[in-house]
Amino acid sequence: MDSVRHDGLGGRAIRFTGNWREYLPIAATNVLLVVVTLGVYRFWASARERRYLWSRTHVIDDTLEWTGTGKEMFFGFLMVMAVMLPFFLFIQLVFPALVARGKEGAAAGLATLVYLGIFVLIGFARFRALRYRLSRTWWHGIRGGSDDSGWSYAAEYLGRSLAAFATLFIMFPWAQTSLWNLRWNKMSFGPLPFRADLTTEGLKRRWALLYIAPFAMLIVGGILAAIVGFSLRSSVNGATLGVIFVGLFALVYLAIPLATLHWYAKYYRHAAAATSLGELQFGFDATTWDWLKLFLGNIAWAMVTLGFGISFWGYRNWSFIVRHAHLYGHIDLAELTQSTTRAPRESEGFADAFDLGAI
Amino acid sequence: MRGTLYDGTTAFPHAVTVSTAGNELELTTETAHRLVAPLDTLVRTDEGGRVRLGRSDVSGWRLLLDEPLDPDLAARLPRPGRYGGWIDRFGLGKAAAACAVVAAAVVAVGYTAPHWLAPHVPVGWERNLGDSIVGDFGDNRCRSPSGQRALETLAERIEPGVTRGPDRIRFAAFDVNIFNAAAIPGNHIIVFKQMIARAQNSDELTGVLAHEIAHVRRRHVTEALLREFGIGALIRLFAGGIGANAQQVASLSYTRANEAQADADAIAALRRANVDPRPTARLFARLAKETGEDRSYSVEWLKSHPASGGRAKLFAASFDPTHRYQRSLSPDQAFALNTACVKFETMRLPQGPTKPDRVTVHPASGGPPGSFEVR
Repeated sequence: MDSVRHDGLGGRAIRFTGNWREYLPIAATNVLLVVVTLGVYRFWASARERRYLWSRTHVIDDTLEWTGTGKEMFFGFLMVMAVMLPFFLFIQLVFPALVARGKEGAAAGLATLVYLGIFVLIGFARFRALRYRLSRTWWHGIRGGSDDSGWSYAAEYLGRSLAAFATLFIMFPWAQTSLWNLRWNKMSFGPLPFRADLTTEGLKRRWALLYIAPFAMLIVGGILAAIVGFSLRSSVNGATLGVIFVGLFALVYLAIPLATLHWYAKYYRHAAAATSLGELQFGFDATTWDWLKLFLGNIAWAMVTLGFGISFWGYRNWSFIVRHAHLYGHIDLAELTQSTTRAPRESEGFADAFDLGAI
Repeated sequence: MRGTLYDGTTAFPHAVTVSTAGNELELTTETAHRLVAPLDTLVRTDEGGRVRLGRSDVSGWRLLLDEPLDPDLAARLPRPGRYGGWIDRFGLGKAAAACAVVAAAVVAVGYTAPHWLAPHVPVGWERNLGDSIVGDFGDNRCRSPSGQRALETLAERIEPGVTRGPDRIRFAAFDVNIFNAAAIPGNHIIVFKQMIARAQNSDELTGVLAHEIAHVRRRHVTEALLREFGIGALIRLFAGGIGANAQQVASLSYTRANEAQADADAIAALRRANVDPRPTARLFARLAKETGEDRSYSVEWLKSHPASGGRAKLFAASFDPTHRYQRSLSPDQAFALNTACVKFETMRLPQGPTKPDRVTVHPASGGPPGSFEVR
């Protein structure tokens, strides 16, 4: 009696109940206020956006609630600026000064350290953004969070990224998947810890495809160049040349992004399936084609509305994720007690500055 | 009315009956438990058909009420926040208008800041930058002592004392094939070889120098630095560098207003120095012809630099036929300046009548090394 069962048969456990007519006044006033405040309102705008999107996300029997505020995100941003200032000053002042004084070695060494530092901060930012979002997300009066500061994750992030880099990105899928686990295994909702055991199983083929795409392009490009050379020697056929140029264009601007999308589509499906909360199991079913429609739709929207449509991207992306998300299993409401994690005061400013998403 | 309560301790929903009593919200559960919540702790969010109430003193406490609310209850509840504290207080229209005014003021201050800030930047801050730029040209400097003296004499005609004292401007000629002269941060003015070689007499060069001196004295150089590199340039100048190379700094552009002011100053300086402005006008006219400028006004308005044709007219118009003008340099000095960038060991002086002020020296084609001919 105290519990809610959901197996995905009788209606979806996660539903998006918003509509664009409801969201339009929010988007329009956000754009107006961001413009007249020279961008400062951005933080309050995103708080309003999330408050709406969360309140229209129905999970099992009630909606989510977002309690993050624009003020805390604004202060989070100021904090990030303060942290980034030394890095900025180094790149602007110390580095050119060292080079100008002929100390290239010292300059290069310091620059390497600075860039490693920035990398650590990116890892830190990803962790903090996720922690912040969970701590401001409520369901049934219960919130999520984490007791971890994120610094150990930041170190792991640097290490695994370097490993991926050192192996010419052959180890990238391992780095990606293990970082997903490291991140989510530190998070909780109420008393329940998240569990993630994502592996590279079933992902390697798509990574290989993305990995060889540039090489394949080189080969195809070479063949096309040979054809061009051949056709030039015989008779220049305009149509053939046109086809070849269109082909090259398609390869460069379509093949690699498509292969990337192809990889990430499966990655997120696997990642969701490998993640659970108590006896709740997550799922995600967006295919490459779904993602492609989302992105092309975003671009088309922005173009048709002369840029105003960009204010709808957040809405489109969130509703896309919710529509493709699944939840299976069982949750005991009486045992879902309040989170004991410390509610972090600062926000995801770190992630904002680096322009990163939370997942 | 009926509602759903989450107590913030567990996720379990309690069905409650809601009413108000004094300053409190009274909740009665199905098991006849009576709970109260002070009205002044309530925080309200509207969620499209449903009202969500939270309590500022109990984390996670939520009361969900379906709309429409009972009228007497609705009257006691706080209003929901919408755009954020300040904007809700003033109303969207008023707040947006006020913000727009402030934003316009900020943009205006930002746009004009370089102009009123530049005169207050100590010249000393720019010295490192200027010295390093002049140093960048290093080996190309024209080192003829008599040429340098002539250049400085010319400058002294325009502004007596300009090459001396703490506010002095340092002049240098460079053996670089550019038809231009430029004011450089830190009170430097540099003149390139083509400018010297193609000026048909020293008076033409005087007008150009007067124009550049005006840029320096009016702090247009600093203004342009601040405009192009942002206010951050101030910190970087103070710290002794700007992270930009000589070419970037040399290609700084002035605003139309600055250029017009420098022209006006140059015309006034020529008048004070008794130098005929017409040669300068001719120089600009030649420049106009070379750069293919026509008489259309649209071109002039699109460019930050006033069209040379227009400037030529301006200089020509300042000619006073009743005034007695003096040549800016003696023939010897003019010759020294003209040959300032010519590296020679020996030189055959011209034979026969020549107009020394119009002499141009070219390395002799096919002659012995180090020989020159004068055309």
